[in-house]
Amino acid sequence: MTDYGHPLRFGTFVTPSAQDPEATVGLARLAEDLGYDLVTFQDHPYQPRFLDTWTLLSYVASATERIHVAPDVANVPMRPPAVLARAAASLDLLSGGRVDLALGAGAFWDAMVSMGVDRLTPGESVDALAEAIEVIRAIWGEDGESELFVPGRHHRLDGATPGPGTTRRIPVWLGALGPRMLRLVGERADGWLPSLGRVGLDGLRAGNARIDAAATAAGRDPREITRLLNVSGTFDDADGANGLGGAPDLHGAPAAWVDRLLPLVLDEGVSTLVLATDDERTTRRFAEEVVPALREQVAHERAARGTDTSRVVPLAVRAARRDGIAYDEIPSTLAERAVEPGDAAYAGVRSNYLRGGSPGLVLRPRDTAEVVEALAFARAQAVTRDVPLSVRSGGHGISGRSTNDGGVVVDLGALDTIEVLDDAARLVRVGPGARWGEVAAALSPRGWAITSGDYGGVGVGGLATAGGIGFLGRAHGLTIDHVRAVELVLADGSVVRASDDENPDLFWAVRGAGSQVGIVTSFDLVADEVAGVGFAQMVHDASDLAGFLERWGATVEAAPRDTTSFLLVGRPRPGQPVVAQSMTMVDSDDPDTVLARLQPFAAIAPLLAQATAQIVPYDAVVSAPQPGSHGGQGEPVSRSGLLEHLTPEAAARLAGLVLSGDTYFFQIRSTGGAAEDVPADATAYAHRSARFSVVAMGASRSRLDARWDALADVFDGMYLSFDTDRRPETHAARLADAFPPATLDRLREIKRRVDPANVFRDNLPVLGPDPVDATTAGAR
Amino acid sequence: MPDYGHDLRFGSFVTPSAAAPHQVVALAELSEEVGLDLVTFQDHPYQAAFLDTWTLLSWVAARTERIRLAGNVLNLPLRPPAVLARSVASLDRLSGGRVELGLGAGGFWDPIVAMGGERLTPGESVDALSEGIDVIRGLWDTSTRERLVAGGAHHHVDGAKRGPAPAHDVEIWVGALKPRMLRLVGAKADGWLPSLPYLQSFEALARGNATIDAAAEDAGRDPRAVRRLLNVGGGFSADGGGGFLRGSPRQWAEQIAEVTLEHGVSTYVVMGDDPTTLAVVGQEVAPAARDLVAAARGVPAPAPAAPDGATADGEVRA
Repeated sequence: MTDYGHPLRFGTFVTPSAQDPEATVGLARLAEDLGYDLVTFQDHPYQPRFLDTWTLLSYVASATERIHVAPDVANVPMRPPAVLARAAASLDLLSGGRVDLALGAGAFWDAMVSMGVDRLTPGESVDALAEAIEVIRAIWGEDGESELFVPGRHHRLDGATPGPGTTRRIPVWLGALGPRMLRLVGERADGWLPSLGRVGLDGLRAGNARIDAAATAAGRDPREITRLLNVSGTFDDADGANGLGGAPDLHGAPAAWVDRLLPLVLDEGVSTLVLATDDERTTRRFAEEVVPALREQVAHERAARGTDTSRVVPLAVRAARRDGIAYDEIPSTLAERAVEPGDAAYAGVRSNYLRGGSPGLVLRPRDTAEVVEALAFARAQAVTRDVPLSVRSGGHGISGRSTNDGGVVVDLGALDTIEVLDDAARLVRVGPGARWGEVAAALSPRGWAITSGDYGGVGVGGLATAGGIGFLGRAHGLTIDHVRAVELVLADGSVVRASDDENPDLFWAVRGAGSQVGIVTSFDLVADEVAGVGFAQMVHDASDLAGFLERWGATVEAAPRDTTSFLLVGRPRPGQPVVAQSMTMVDSDDPDTVLARLQPFAAIAPLLAQATAQIVPYDAVVSAPQPGSHGGQGEPVSRSGLLEHLTPEAAARLAGLVLSGDTYFFQIRSTGGAAEDVPADATAYAHRSARFSVVAMGASRSRLDARWDALADVFDGMYLSFDTDRRPETHAARLADAFPPATLDRLREIKRRVDPANVFRDNLPVLGPDPVDATTAGAR
Repeated sequence: MPDYGHDLRFGSFVTPSAAAPHQVVALAELSEEVGLDLVTFQDHPYQAAFLDTWTLLSWVAARTERIRLAGNVLNLPLRPPAVLARSVASLDRLSGGRVELGLGAGGFWDPIVAMGGERLTPGESVDALSEGIDVIRGLWDTSTRERLVAGGAHHHVDGAKRGPAPAHDVEIWVGALKPRMLRLVGAKADGWLPSLPYLQSFEALARGNATIDAAAEDAGRDPRAVRRLLNVGGGFSADGGGGFLRGSPRQWAEQIAEVTLEHGVSTYVVMGDDPTTLAVVGQEVAPAARDLVAAARGVPAPAPAAPDGATADGEVRA
């Protein structure tokens, strides 16, 4: 006899009548309108008077917006579990996480056998259900395996692939009565869903005891199992019809219902009550007259008894928690989507594109208000003193780390809207979690584009706060040059807008050092008219690497602004010529212009493969890969430098770096052009005279750092987000590379004002790598 | 055999990508908006990157009003026919008679087995499909209250109650390439739904039609009882030099009319997820092709088929 302290939820149990499908769907809509949390349908696939339950659930989920749907309960013998699992995952994706999966071992075996099902004994059917749960959970990816094997006697997987990935962990509830089924609930399920008319009060009590014992024996907290109950009732004194058959469980006036239900909640632990009725009036009266009174009395009693109503965290998840994070205090708005190390979703959120991570908590806010909450929570955690807060948009951060070890990550992926604000002005509002390929695809039908980088998988937030050296850079400038306003959450939780007119200091800082001043929650960007682009990929013989780099640089500088070229030089291989690959974009859809621009690039050196050149929409080049989780491992080793010209000396020394073999990825992007038109002091990105951005990645940090240090005089500045040098002794030098003195002074002044505690210190922090205590800050 | 006289229909073939469910649904909705008659989704239940096709069809049915829906084609080995029959009938009733049943024998046995399905030989899979069709049709047939006994070694019902009946006479379209399957189409199916890229040539289409027609006649059916559908790829260009369905909308319409009149294909399902292509097919190609076919047949162009199947296209049902 216990109250597990679960939140109260209410559902309906609607007969899936095939006779009048519209009425059936209408009852589900009514339940949603009346504020029910859940609508359920029984599943008897041998019953021709009923609609197929899975079809109906899917249809109803599509026809509603908020309410959850569940079978009550799904007939597992007639629904192969692997397909059922993918169906549930699909409905989860389509409905935004509104499906719950209640399963049953099957009853009415004569009817099932008549439909072609093999007859099982009661014992076998429990075994089969246990196997089915294994299959379903494996397909949902809960085992973390990429190839699935479940060698069951009744249900098997033999090399199947998990997926599709769900938006949440779909709960599995079991309809159970017998001792073996109840044990299975305790060991494996997330909920127990009997019907009061069949289980009875004594059965409920005994069932809970069995479940709790089995859960404890399996190393689970009995609170991990939600107790649901189908109940029937009539507000008349006479017996009313109900879908469960038999006499109704509840009679009389609403107050009498409350009296009967209250002890079920407070003493028997039931928290989800599913009312079996097809009567509109009963559905309405329950919602309007029983639910509010019951909620009130339960809340009152729980408060009086001191019932633990905290969020339920499985013991296995609790065991994987990290120190310094008050997990049980995560605000309820964030808690459901939060991911911690023991969660099934953790594998998909721990790493970024290039970096392995083991964060202690990933918060996934959905809007600005939730970002504020997430930030406040993160700031309050002890761990945030030692492990800087990570902010993630698309998860491609190189120096903006976007993951960590043991700390808090605020993942902005859900803030991914792309909305046109003003057609005439080509003004677009984009969330930080959108990816540039998605932005490109959204703008393409209007003949618009916003230059970003060279890859559509990169998130908006990180790039649009750092600079953005992209394929249309010489034609249209940096990405930050397209920002007209931002909404920004500051360290103290205040939400401000920044533009030329509002908070101009912040607007200046956000464009080049945004990660240091706050979390941008939306960008207003001006798009350019880009009808189509010429795009060419060429593979050049770069045997004379120094000469090649010099000629490529000169070719770029001689080209009109409509042309931007990026160069990638492969690691030298013994006995083979050095190979360079150029990717060149021309902001024109005129074939003659494109050809004229590309010819000088083809003439730099012999081509080793047929050049490909075509006129395509911009979004065909910068396209978003399928969304999915990142699987980065280890730490990237990357260095960055900017320079004005690829002089013979610069070219020779960069060639020396490539030929040393200490870099496996060496890229030069051309910039300048329109980016040069903006004064150096207009944004926190000040390197307006730079025409080339060089990035080298290496396997060995010490070797690449040594090589790069020796090149220091070649460069004039660096691109903030491409450099991972984190040696304490070079911190000041890297800051000087990223920000010229006047820029750095202004940034520090702003930083002391808006983030005196140095909360945002993940990416080359201008106030140093350590948190600043309030007392220290005040003394400055 | 020439033109079977069926009314022309046009459909889409939307990739059920699980990575972008809302785009998938949007393309289905667009298919309706641009006047297509049919939206279809491939069904590979072992493919983790895809949405479950039946769930998706049910979802889309609730968000559309006019367009027909079908799997292209549903994987019978992983969808037991008795439950499938009731699922189809249910969705047909929910959607106001807009569901047709595209059905396949299954082809990729390794992943089917990986999902817990049974491996069948090609011959067995044809038998299984034949049994499945009998089970499905039997459960839909509520003209008798007699319990259903149907099927055989692979799918068997013994004393099942019949019903619910679909809201309209749901057509069973079979994806088939090889002779045994084609004979099954002729004997039992309401439609043949191959993909042109698999057929590779119109000669193969003609041979398939001949096999189906002969099998239909052997079974005492009118070959016109079997609708001929075709999954086709294509794109639009000004010069049209690239062959079948590569030119202008007008050239598409002419080529389609020719295939309809020579090979009897009456439903064209356009592959690819390009919204512009779907719009041009629905708004330009379809009306032009209907006009051309009607002119050649010497009858007024029929209106697009109504969802309840009450068309005046003179088709014969076995």
